[in-house]
Amino acid sequence: MKLVITGYGIVSNLGIGAEAFETALQNAATHPPARPASAAADAPLIKEIPDFDPTPWLGDKGLRSLDRLTKQLVLAARLALQDAGLKRDGVYVGVEAEAIGFCSSNAYGSLEAINELDRVAVLEDARYINPSKFPNTVSNTAAGYASIWEDVRALNMSISDGNCGGLDTFVLAQQFFETDRASVLAVGGGEALSESIALAFGRLGALVRSCVLGEGASFAVVERASHARLRGATPIAEILGAATTFGATSSDSLLVPSERALTAAIHSACAQGGISLAEVDVVLGSMSGLTAFDRAENRVHSALFGNAVRVHAPKELFGESFGAAGALAVATALAWFKGKAPSFGDGATASQPMPRTILLTSLGYYGNAAALVLRRPSNET
Amino acid sequence: MQTAAKVNRSRVLVTGVGVFSPIGSGKEAFYSALAAGKSGAAEVTQFSTENLGRSIACEVKDFRASDHLSGAELRRMGRCSAMALAAARMALTEAGLHENRWQDRSRVAVILGTTMGEADVLEKLDQALVRSGPQALQRSHLTRVGSTLLPIHIARAIGAEGPTMTLPAACAAGNYAIGLAYDLIRTGKADVVIAGASELIQQLQFSGFVRLAAMAPSKCQPFDKNRQGILIGEGSAVFVLESEGHAAKRGAAFQAEVGGFGLTCDAYHITRPHPDASGSVAAMRRAIAEAGVQAGDIDFVNAHGTGTKANDTAETAVMHEVFGGRRVPISSMKSMFGHCMGAASALEAAACLFTIESGIYPPTIHYETPDSECDVAVVANVAQRGPHRIVANNSLAFGGYNAVTIFAQPGVLVPPSERPHAFFSARASGSEAPR
Repeated sequence: MKLVITGYGIVSNLGIGAEAFETALQNAATHPPARPASAAADAPLIKEIPDFDPTPWLGDKGLRSLDRLTKQLVLAARLALQDAGLKRDGVYVGVEAEAIGFCSSNAYGSLEAINELDRVAVLEDARYINPSKFPNTVSNTAAGYASIWEDVRALNMSISDGNCGGLDTFVLAQQFFETDRASVLAVGGGEALSESIALAFGRLGALVRSCVLGEGASFAVVERASHARLRGATPIAEILGAATTFGATSSDSLLVPSERALTAAIHSACAQGGISLAEVDVVLGSMSGLTAFDRAENRVHSALFGNAVRVHAPKELFGESFGAAGALAVATALAWFKGKAPSFGDGATASQPMPRTILLTSLGYYGNAAALVLRRPSNET
Repeated sequence: MQTAAKVNRSRVLVTGVGVFSPIGSGKEAFYSALAAGKSGAAEVTQFSTENLGRSIACEVKDFRASDHLSGAELRRMGRCSAMALAAARMALTEAGLHENRWQDRSRVAVILGTTMGEADVLEKLDQALVRSGPQALQRSHLTRVGSTLLPIHIARAIGAEGPTMTLPAACAAGNYAIGLAYDLIRTGKADVVIAGASELIQQLQFSGFVRLAAMAPSKCQPFDKNRQGILIGEGSAVFVLESEGHAAKRGAAFQAEVGGFGLTCDAYHITRPHPDASGSVAAMRRAIAEAGVQAGDIDFVNAHGTGTKANDTAETAVMHEVFGGRRVPISSMKSMFGHCMGAASALEAAACLFTIESGIYPPTIHYETPDSECDVAVVANVAQRGPHRIVANNSLAFGGYNAVTIFAQPGVLVPPSERPHAFFSARASGSEAPR
């Protein structure tokens, strides 16, 4: 069973929608710089979506009670379904709502909503919390709203696996196509910046000082190649393999990079696609500026690929966006397959030939890891 | 096109269960309480309910984390994870499996459901932040936030190295976890999956449901004409699911087979089920079809049964639509142990195992006045005995999530290779397929 990606939607600091994103992606000089989250001395740097306003795409009706995460996820879903040609003027074309599902990742839910209600409970009284805001505190609410706005009814699978969740959703998508739970799946995730996350990172101090926080949402539309062919859709990428693994440890620390888990995930994803490591052209890794984790991930890539493969860090562009990170990296790979080479600031990528096979990796903070292999479609796909 | 033999490679067997619930912890105590129709409702002890207008919930009173976890483990996790890990250990013990002694640890997965995960950790951080500012945030607590951590703690403790995921699927999360575990095993991706769900009571959630006017004053009365809503609960239920080959190789006894999983989304309202219950109906039909049986083969339905107007009428519609004129016995465990949110359908799955083993349908307690809008065969107030070959576990959730799992006595279902496996793909190619 061959799975392909036929479109994507993205809401990011580099742009909203594939076209704006791809234009910005190619020119590092246009990328908005990171800024301190607040005036506090220990405030972390953040890369937020500047002046985020979804109304040009979603209208202004019904947005008032939605939080930032929900708006980003809903918008990314809408843009993805449109980009894949599944929806025109809000109506599905050639596929039923009952056959379309979501697999979405998010690590922290709406901390903004939880913090707001906790604040009311502490400063005033719990009996004064706003009931219309309460549903936003539930972890799957953003994904639930996305299904309502876009009328997605086959399934809605939410996953939380830290910064590996965005790639894990592709593992789930493979699983659900194998067990035939949908004809089309929008696969990705979202994470919103909030005061709580910034304060927490500020408080963690030196541990995370070199990590820039980010946010965003992205969905890739995945379907069987045969389904895409039937409806005349053009694949952007083929999914060769996806794997998620864990490295058990006896360490007392909760935060542990597992090189073993990442190595296993890469081998598994490549083996599924029947490709050797030598066939990987580019690696999009999960390096975020956290020294111990970046070194561990680089060691894995060096051990497996030597100097033969160029390794890039999409988080250089987006910041660390946890549950959204893998999804934003996938969008970067898809843009590249479309001939829009990302500019990572070192100027090298633009001159590199368009890759045929991209490996995406996520090294989790708790011993978890994930890998995904995408290939630019050949003519016969 | 997938073949049946490729998709349905193995039966999925339940070989162990661990439970912490408001009506009893450990399988024996839980099963006894189910048979007796015990209520877990009482005054909340974990936080003040003063001025909230409601004060009753279903807490797990007999859980002490230090009885089950090491000092290092206690330092790393909050109460929700602790309860999940303790339940996982209980399940492993019953299954006769041992931590860190796996033949191939990469084929052992951990899938946990929850709604809010370590909500107590986050609540403490928020309170410290509001009262005393960022400097009051304890660094050790910051790294413990996030529902991601539930399966991570279990995987670390037992030495599992397969897929490790949290499914935050609100009130259907337990069924989501069991269903995904079933998919992973039957498609040959894992030999053993530790699957289940965990949830705890905390003040924000309690207050939120009161403010939504969804909370009953003292008792939960599913399907009753005078039902007034939910009672919040907490708990954890974790299962050992194994492939038939893995279980047979080690001579493991098994309690039931997981035979089907149905998954749909309403796309209707964030907190209410669709009134025509079409999504929920489709989930139930899919789960039954996957098991290779007909609706007429289902002996008992363990209801979602929250005790709200909207849920119970929607669930009634499911019963009528799926089972027609046949009045299949149905009962809501939430009348006894409250609505345990993410853990609800996992605890209810444990109740399904009880029914499969014993032939006892646990009662819906506090059922006093029949409701013509909930014209279903409620197992009212006292447990009943009946056929118990195949039972369905129904769940609905925030966001319009619907999930159904099917449990069967060992040996009742046809071999996996003979069960339907093509649904959407068959429709696309124009051939017949059950829906």
